[in-house]
Amino acid sequence: MSTTNPNLIHSHKEILHFPKGGQPTLAPNEWHTWGGVQDEGGLPDLEHGAHKVLVPFHWWRSHCSGHHQNADIIERANKGEIGVWFATDDDILKHAEIIEAGKKIWPVVAAHFPIFRDGRSFSTAALLRQRFNWQNEVRAIGDVLIDQLLQGARVGFDAFELRPDQDLTVGLQQFNLFSVSTQNSWRGKRTLLEA
Amino acid sequence: MAMYKYDTIDQTLVDERVAQFRDQVARRLDGTLPEEEFRPLRLQNGLYHQRHAYMLRVAIPYGLLSSNQLRTLATIADKYDRGYGHFTTRQNIQYNWVELEETPNILADLAKVQMHAIQTSGNCIRNITSDAFAGVASDEYVDPRPVCELLRQWSTLHPEFAHLPRKFKFAINGAKEDRTVLLCHDVGIEMKKNAQGELVANIYAGGGMGRTPILGQLIKQELPWQLLPSYLTALLRVYNRFGRRDNLYKARIKILVKALGPEEFARQVEGEWAYIAKGDDNFTQAEWDRVAKHFTKPAYKNLPAIDNEALKSQFESELDANERIAFARWLERNVRSHQVPGYASVILSLKPHGTAAPGDATTAQMNAIADLADQYSFGELRVTHEQNLVLADVEQTQLLQFWRAAKKQNLVIPNIGLLTDLIACPGGDFCSLANAKSLPIAKAIQERFDDLDYLYDLGDISLNISGCINSCGHHHVGNIGVLGVDKDGEEWYQITLGGDQGFDAAIGKVIGPSFYADEIPDVITNIINTYVAQRTADESFVQTYRRLGVAPFKEAAYLNVKKKSKTDETALGGDAS
Repeated sequence: MSTTNPNLIHSHKEILHFPKGGQPTLAPNEWHTWGGVQDEGGLPDLEHGAHKVLVPFHWWRSHCSGHHQNADIIERANKGEIGVWFATDDDILKHAEIIEAGKKIWPVVAAHFPIFRDGRSFSTAALLRQRFNWQNEVRAIGDVLIDQLLQGARVGFDAFELRPDQDLTVGLQQFNLFSVSTQNSWRGKRTLLEA
Repeated sequence: MAMYKYDTIDQTLVDERVAQFRDQVARRLDGTLPEEEFRPLRLQNGLYHQRHAYMLRVAIPYGLLSSNQLRTLATIADKYDRGYGHFTTRQNIQYNWVELEETPNILADLAKVQMHAIQTSGNCIRNITSDAFAGVASDEYVDPRPVCELLRQWSTLHPEFAHLPRKFKFAINGAKEDRTVLLCHDVGIEMKKNAQGELVANIYAGGGMGRTPILGQLIKQELPWQLLPSYLTALLRVYNRFGRRDNLYKARIKILVKALGPEEFARQVEGEWAYIAKGDDNFTQAEWDRVAKHFTKPAYKNLPAIDNEALKSQFESELDANERIAFARWLERNVRSHQVPGYASVILSLKPHGTAAPGDATTAQMNAIADLADQYSFGELRVTHEQNLVLADVEQTQLLQFWRAAKKQNLVIPNIGLLTDLIACPGGDFCSLANAKSLPIAKAIQERFDDLDYLYDLGDISLNISGCINSCGHHHVGNIGVLGVDKDGEEWYQITLGGDQGFDAAIGKVIGPSFYADEIPDVITNIINTYVAQRTADESFVQTYRRLGVAPFKEAAYLNVKKKSKTDETALGGDAS
């Protein structure tokens, strides 16, 4: 009954991967995104078999950084089962040290779209790639619609948890709509005419 | 022709954008894309849902058009609309009566002549505007068009800034006088040469109209032109991350700049820029060369310069008595001096007195103007902030012939810069955002002040009308501003005085309680009479206002105001179309 769990940010069961230089593909989503509510002292028991969990970045800060060290979570993190997601009002530049340290811990980070037309997470992804030189997966979560995929892919996202009602087949077709671009992006430089 | 021509990259991008939008429209029509989610997608392609129909806003980047493009705009008006288009203050053209199903075909027609509607609306970087006299103005420091075009390309489908907190408008100027309302833009870019002769930009940020009109603040001086993409990325990134999203009316960058203070905002931009200033986003000389080669001077003849007095006497024998005054006035009001001896720039007035909405041109007019451009001005024309059209390169000795030809299309009313050259948004007749109608007010004022002798005597006065606080009619910077407001479901009009554009830009002050629609012509008359009674010899309206302050104008404005009951108001809606 994962689709009704209020503790989760819901998406399709399949995740759309679009690695830099690769092709878009669908795969089962191994990660659950914990919304951060109903916190009674630790990560709630989500689903049977839900080993891999994206926790809110602010929750990580208050439980797993500095002198806050939640042993259970750290242990799971060391097994590669914990990532974080950034809310739109997380100022990632203010927590550069935690994020730098996270490079060795989090296999996946995500940035959240509370509503599809809120573009803050585009800048979050751009900063993760440009400023932090983030090499692991950066995933778009929340109100992720197929018409944002191309923009997201260009700023730095390489995985997309589409909203459950979105058509995955149409989604897969979004990435080759444009064969040229007129500004640089994470995926590549602007198109130049052959000399 | 001195205008940019698409290369295969530009053309491919626009064609692919049409295909993308065609698919989005198809998904909207088959119901898989709900209206709420389609809305930002159609807006980013200039498609609004208006009171009666869809409205399509087409970009005329930095105001430059070829005659061939204008013919396509005319054809579109005929084929998909009702035989006219509306030129806007931000160098776009709007069609008021299009069908959703047909918009992909309109965009495909536009793409064939290197035009599009990309980012003419929505919370993204909008069509970049500039000086309608770019490249020809006698007061120009540098030709801003290469930078306009480079930034047009850079901002087109920019992924990071596709969902900003609110719309984002650039204006770019390169002349001594500002004809772009630079300080009322989210970002104003002033191009000039530094002491070493290098092309640099001064950046003003945080200007805007709307509910909280604010003039932009200088936040960066002498930025080398090559670094514009990285600097603007930093600026937009700060805004994208920290601009308010909780309140539509506080979401523009002006609110962020005001809240932080210009110094702190500039500091944050510098902080971000430090990481990317040296990156490969920046423009290269090769890119400049690729774009700038299109903005070379057309094949001007080697002609002697003629001043207006000499011109008048030269044409004297060819003019009959009736024509003499009209032509002389037209020379003075509608013709501008040019960089090149023997040439002039001509403004075609789209402000007939009461017979068409300000900025409207019919299919026949557009086709005729295209012909005029071909015959007299190297096949090129421009759109002004005041919603008129400019033929920039007319030989002075051909001005009389030109005037007679343009007169047949009712395009030579010598009212440029005068009271009836007013700016007006489409208002409540079309726009679903509007609180009140604009066009009947414009018509009533133009009809009241139909006497050209009198207008000419009044001299420079700008009167701008907006149907709501979104300020599309730029009422805040009109010497006289008229703003439609809604009070208990009725249309009222608030008057502001003392607004101005250019580098002396000022936001007009509200004079007091608002008026009924049918009071406005009397109110304007009383304000104008005060000016006439109080002015000194050469004083313009705004100069008299600045000298005297608001008091005498305010007193006059309320002189004849009737205290009417609501039942007297039934005539108000009579002009609705």
